[in-house]
Order: sequence, then C-alpha cells, then structure tokens
Amino acid sequence: MSYIPGQPVTAVVQRVEIHKLRQGENLILGFSIGGGIDQDPSQNPFSEDKTDKVNGWDMTMVTHDQARKRLTKRSEEVVRLLVTRQSLQKAVQQSMLS
Amino acid sequence: SPGSQASLATMPEAPDVLEETVTVEEDPGTPTSHVSIVTSEDGTTRRTETKVTKTVKTVTTRTVRQVSGAGFPEGPEPRDSSSYGSPGDGCFTLPSHREAFSVGPEPGPPGGRSLPERFQAEPYGLEDDTRSLAADDEGGPELEPDYGTATRRRPECGRGLHTRAYEDAADDGGELTDQRPAFPAVTAPLAQPERGSLGSLDRLVRRSPSVDSARKEPRWRDPELPEVLAMLRHPVDPVKANAAAYLQHLCFENEGVKRRVRQLRGLPLLVALLDHPRAEVRRRACGALRNLSYGRDTDNKAAIRDCGGVPALVRLLRAARDNEVRELVTGTLWNLSSYEPLKMVIIDHGLQTLTHEVIVPHSGWEREPNEDSKPRDAEWTTVFKNTSGCLRNVSSDGAEARRRLRECEGLVDALLHALQSAVGRKDTDNKSVENCVCIMRNLSYHVHKEVPGADRYQEAEPGPQGSAVVSQRRRRDDASCFGGKKAKGGWGKKDGEMDRNFDTLDLPKRTEAAKGFELLYQPEVVRLYLSLLTESRNFNTLEAAAGALQNLSAGNWMWATYIRATVRKERGLPVLVELLQSETDKVVRAVAIALRNLSLDRRNKDLIGSYAMAELVRNVRNAQAPPRPGARLEEDTVVAVLNTIHEIVSDSLDNARSLLQARGVPALVALVASSQSVREAKAASHVLQTVWSYKELRGSLQKDGWTKARFQSAAATAKGPKGAPSPGGFDDSTLPLVDKSLEGEKTGSRDVIPMDALGPDGYSTVDRRERRPRGIGSAGEASEKEPLKLDPSRKAPPPGPSRPAVRLVDAVGDAKPQPVDSWV
Repeated sequence: MSYIPGQPVTAVVQRVEIHKLRQGENLILGFSIGGGIDQDPSQNPFSEDKTDKVNGWDMTMVTHDQARKRLTKRSEEVVRLLVTRQSLQKAVQQSMLS
Repeated sequence: SPGSQASLATMPEAPDVLEETVTVEEDPGTPTSHVSIVTSEDGTTRRTETKVTKTVKTVTTRTVRQVSGAGFPEGPEPRDSSSYGSPGDGCFTLPSHREAFSVGPEPGPPGGRSLPERFQAEPYGLEDDTRSLAADDEGGPELEPDYGTATRRRPECGRGLHTRAYEDAADDGGELTDQRPAFPAVTAPLAQPERGSLGSLDRLVRRSPSVDSARKEPRWRDPELPEVLAMLRHPVDPVKANAAAYLQHLCFENEGVKRRVRQLRGLPLLVALLDHPRAEVRRRACGALRNLSYGRDTDNKAAIRDCGGVPALVRLLRAARDNEVRELVTGTLWNLSSYEPLKMVIIDHGLQTLTHEVIVPHSGWEREPNEDSKPRDAEWTTVFKNTSGCLRNVSSDGAEARRRLRECEGLVDALLHALQSAVGRKDTDNKSVENCVCIMRNLSYHVHKEVPGADRYQEAEPGPQGSAVVSQRRRRDDASCFGGKKAKGGWGKKDGEMDRNFDTLDLPKRTEAAKGFELLYQPEVVRLYLSLLTESRNFNTLEAAAGALQNLSAGNWMWATYIRATVRKERGLPVLVELLQSETDKVVRAVAIALRNLSLDRRNKDLIGSYAMAELVRNVRNAQAPPRPGARLEEDTVVAVLNTIHEIVSDSLDNARSLLQARGVPALVALVASSQSVREAKAASHVLQTVWSYKELRGSLQKDGWTKARFQSAAATAKGPKGAPSPGGFDDSTLPLVDKSLEGEKTGSRDVIPMDALGPDGYSTVDRRERRPRGIGSAGEASEKEPLKLDPSRKAPPPGPSRPAVRLVDAVGDAKPQPVDSWV
C-alpha cells in the first residue's frame, strides 16, 4: 500500500476472529508473526498482512514483543484481529471500479 | 490447518445492528476482558471493552462512528470505523504455521515517521536512539487505577457477565479513544482545553471512512510538535507521559526534530519531568531525552546541561530502582559525555553516583571481601555498559579528570575486578570490557607524574640514550654476551647477572595491600593486560590494553622499571610481537609504541630487537609496497613502527645488524623515496642515518651496494635538516625523550566527531589518545589526529591535512539486530 507518511491512509480492513487451539498447556494460534516498530521494516519477514488491532489493542505502534504478548494472552481464547492486506485493498478497488 | 479457523466477520455497508460479545470465564483475580460491540442504525458502532482487573472493573466505551453518519456533535470525533470490505471470501481459514501474518505498523504512522526504524545503534554512537517503548504490559492491570481521569472508571459489575456497555458519562462526547494506544496508559481523552484542536496523541492511526465514501470527514491529524510539547505540561499525567513517549518516537533518527524541540524550548520541560512524582512520566521523559541527547549536533547536549539536566539525571539514577529507567539515564549520560564541555560537569555531579550505584555493585568487587566466599563475578548489564561508556569518555578530559577518577573511591578497584572477572570467564570481547580497559588506559596516562607521591619513586635521569641507569650498566655486558644470548634462543630469561639485578630490585615495602589508584601501576596489572591481549578479539580492547602497557612503561619512575621487567617475565613480549601482524591499524600502532617504551629496558630492547625486527620490517614493507590495494597502513602507524625501529637500533649494534639481516634497509630507502608523507620519510631516513652511524656496519652495507652517497641522499631526501629533530608535528622520530610516554597528545586536540561514515556501531569515544608529549615547551604541536577506522581491514584514509580524532568501535561481536519473528 502506498502512502505518504503523515497523511491519513485509507485502508480496507478485515475482521478476523480466531479461536485459539489448545496444545498441551498452551493456547496457540498457529502462525508466525514478524515486524514491530522496533524492527527494521525492510527486513520484515512477512509483509502481506498487517494487523491493526488485536482484541481492541492497537497494534500500530507496538514493538515485536508487545505484539507477541497481546496475541498470546493466556486469558483470551479468542483473538479478534483487524487486518489489512494488500490483496484485499486491490480487490476492493477493483470492485469499485467495475 | 488444525484448529485455526478464522471466520471473517463481515460488516455490510448498510449498517445493521450487530452485536458481538465476548465472554471469558476466568478465575477471580485474573484479568478478564469483555468486549461488546454494538452497531446501531445510525451508523454508530459502539465498542465496549471491559476489563476486570482484580476487584476493579473498568469499562471503556468507545464509540466508533462509521462511514457517512452526520457529523458528530462534538468537535473531537471518534475515529472512523474501519470499513469492512468483503471481497466475497466468506469464511476463510488461516493457514497454519508459516502464513504471513505480520504484526506491523499501519502504513503512515503518525508524525511522518516512516515505517518503524529499526532499533539500532546509530553510528555516532554513544547510545542508540530508541523508539518509544511501551512498558511491558504483561499481566497486571493495564489501566492504572490512579488515573485521575474523570471519565473512565466504572467499578464493580460482576465479572463474567454479558456486559452491556453502559455508556461512559464522558462529557466530551465522542470517545475518541477507540483504540488502545501503544502506551500502556489509558488513553487520555482529548484534552478538554484544547478542544478545538484535532491534534491528538490518540490519533495514531487514521482510517478513512469506508472506501466508497468520498466525503471528507473531519479527520484527526497528527499533533504538531508545539502541541506535543504543550502536552508535556498537561495536567493529566498520562498525557504528559504519552507526549514524552511520542516525542521520543518523533526524535528517533531525526536531527531536524531534535533541533526543533530545542528551539521550541522543549528540553527544559523534559528535564523538569525527570523529577515528576510519577514513575511513568519520569521514564518517558528520560527516554525522550535520551534520543534528544544523541547525535552529532551538540547544541542539544549543551542545552540539556544549561537547564540542569545533568544533576537531574543523576538524581533520577539515585532514586530509581527500575532497571529501564537506569538504562535510560545512564544511556543519556553516555550521550552527553561525548561533548567535551560536559565532561567535567558530569564528573562533578555524577562521578560518585555512577561509581557507587553502578560500577561497584555490578563489578562484583567487594570492599571488604568475605574470606570464605569466592570473588563475585561481574554482571555485564546494559546499565554497566552505559556507565562505563560514560566514564570512558570523561576519563579522556585531561589531567584534572584523571585525577578525579583515580581518586574516586572504589572505582579503579571495581574496574580491575570486573576485568579480572571477564578474563576469568573468557568473555573479553564485549563492549563493557572495552570501556573498562579504555578507562584504565586513560587513567594510566602520566601516572608517573600525576599520582600523589609520584616523585618519591622517581629514578635518576636517564642518559641521553634514554635508557635507565640500570641499562647503561648493561650495555657492555650485552655486547660481550651477544653470542651467548643468541645461542640461548627463545624469549627466556637469561640467567646471569643481568637478571639478578632485576630480581633483586626491591619493591617498596607495603604495609597494606595497594588500593585505589595504586592498583593502576602494580606489576600485577601486567598479567591482566597481557591476558586481554592474548584473548580478546575486540580491536579497541586490544588497542587499549597495549595502550595501557605503553603508558605504564613510560616514564622514569620505579614502577615503570618494574612493569617493563614484569612484561618480559610474564612472557608478554611475544604476545605483543604477534599483534604486530594485526590487520588493524590501531592495534599495530599501539603495540609498536608499547614495544618502543618497553625497550627502555635493556633486556627488552635486546629481545625485541631480535625477535620483533622481522615483523617491524614487514610492516614497513607493507607501507611501502602494499600487498593489496587498500591494505596500506596509515601514516601514524607507519611512523610509530619506524620510531620503534629507531629506538631499538639506537645504541645497539646488534639490533642494527638485525635490521640489516631482516632486509630492512631496502625497505626503508624505498619508503623514503616513495612515501607521500613527509613524516614517514623523515622517520625512515632517521633510521637510516642511525644505521649509517655504525661504522661496523659500513662494510656490510657497501657489500650490498650501498654507498655513502646513496645512503645519505636517501636519508636527506626527507625534508628537514639531517638528523635534527623535526620541528613541531607529532613527529616523534627524533630524540628518545626522557619522558617516553606516548606520542604526545597535544592539549587541545580533541574529540572531534567525524562527519563521515561511521560504522553501524560506531562509537566516538573521544578518548584521549595517549601520546607522548613532545617534551616540555615544544611548540606548535599538531593536534592529534586519528584516522577513522571503520572496519578491521586496513584502509588508507584519503590523504589530507587533517583527520578527525575519533575512535570508532569496530563492532566486534555487535551485529545489527536481526529481524525477529515469533511463533504465536
């Protein structure tokens, strides 16, 4: 998604709800995350989907560690995510044009 | 994929009533959270998050307006909802495992920040800028109970219920905080007084209305810098804290913002917050100051000093038990300490605290050691690293600074203890060790002149050759034992009368163990420095350890005599000679000068002459004909090597012969002819002249085709009168000075921060280079310049009149932080 820093951005978001899986003693989600404001964006391992919110917690200004913690709270069995992804954006734009 | 089902909750464009409730049953006492989202017909979506924390439940109601509703009555409006586009995917399963699901920032983060900079150490580095770090929100209540914000709290309410959010009685209408800010504090409502402003820290993310709306709703914009600074004075503490954190974020790697903050007089505000009653505010303010204090621009450092920043930081360090705050404070002090005018200020306000609060405790040193327990190990914490870095910088600030540090109770003891601990654990490459050795090196400079009672130990003036009286006696013996010595081979001690004299030198009787600054020059330190030289791979550490030995071997006082002999007895000479092969200029240079000083001891001189000559000549040869492009030694290094050669061939026929045998003459002649550097040529020709002065060698020289004429002309090619000391400059190629410390440091040469490239972990330590003074009264010394070193391989800096005096950390062992990913 192209953007100009400092300007508001239009983003198409998607709500995703995930129920954690119990694996042994832990509740896991089953995927990996990368990034965080303390990480080098150019080295982001996954950059397709970006998460804006997890269960209401803002994710846009968090470090990697904080993000991980918010996803892995033992007290929460369900994680509700607000994600943006480029393919979604494009698809919506396409549908708007047509 | 097992179990990871994600259902896509789609929100149709025409808002329906949709309610979502999450109920989590928890044991009492565990934080729970209830989320309720209600969307009503007018397009308003209300999302309520309830957290139950212990016995206090706080309800946050967020009202999110969606799309094209009528304008919200109040000025500050809640943020727009996300639009829910559904490309018709329907239900959709998250693939397991390596599906890319990055948790990253939204594009277009506030404040014009480009996507988050990596947490990295900036080259100018004393300390790395850090992004604003939200505190760890693990466990515990996220919402600070003592918040004081009128609006939010709704105690009680049973837990585990479907909480119908009851609306907050916030009178600011729109609840703009629909989202959790990155900072742990509860979102602060938009400041009432600033109602008109749309700038808000909570507006960290903006979303437009749904994509099909072209309507320009009033939107949040980023707060301007003056607004952020004004928020530092906001009555609500979390606003202050958030503003400071945001400021830290804005300043990150942005010199323009840092400058603006100063121009807008933000620094006194932040310094004042260091004494704020709330820990969170203090921490954030300190984080912002840390970033602001970092960088080439020294105006911020000066401004921080001007508003009392240094004593405030020290106060905070004394008071703070939180480790992050201590790291931030010491990091800031490290940044500030690179600016020379601040060094004494830091010593004045902070030396005692830094020593007693950090260095001593973390070093493992105990003032009154318990005899039964074994010595404690040092803890290589970040706080220790920062503090040692700060002290490293201030230790380079001249004689008074050195005196203060030497006399600071426990400092030298603790540093030595820490270094011993590092050697014992074979952990000698880290930055803290490097800092400690550099401090020791600096404090060893001119010990023979500066420590109290030094004159007690002064020895008789050495003769013109610069050898101690003891050595002069030796000379005859050496000549006669020449053959015998050679036959023995090796570096071993030669039995005989020579040794006897050294062995029977009496160390002054000590009624009690040495402590404090005395430890700097006890022969016991020799073993420590030699261990570091043997084990460490950190070039700065190697250089500093050699520098310390260099400093300690200088001077004509008794301790230097012991130290020179001790180096030999501890088999240190081979260690040093081997380091002459280093690819790193600064290491070669430091070692060469150390060897030169060590050869004030006659036995050393003989041994060095025999066993180091090949390496020394090899370095000369490399200077003259570099084996690969870019492998050329720097001028200072070449001069140092040449001076060392000169020292050892003076007054030693044997060594001069060794030079010939090592084929040093052709290399020297070629260097004189080809070198671009006047100093190099002069130094080389000086050696040649000395060689020529040995009549005994003329025969060999002539056999090799050297005629007097050729020799002299080669020698005379260098400008300057033949054989005369070169005037001015750092050129130490002439007289072996009585005071053979190191290449003279010119007072006034300074901690110049280079403008050009610094390595990833570059660190301008602005160490004082321990240099040999030209001798009293020599005028016009050029200021010391240090070429920049970026990486271990030799690089010739562009020839130029001046080079900045900088020391960079070759980031041995420090790597750029690797991108992290986590399995969740």
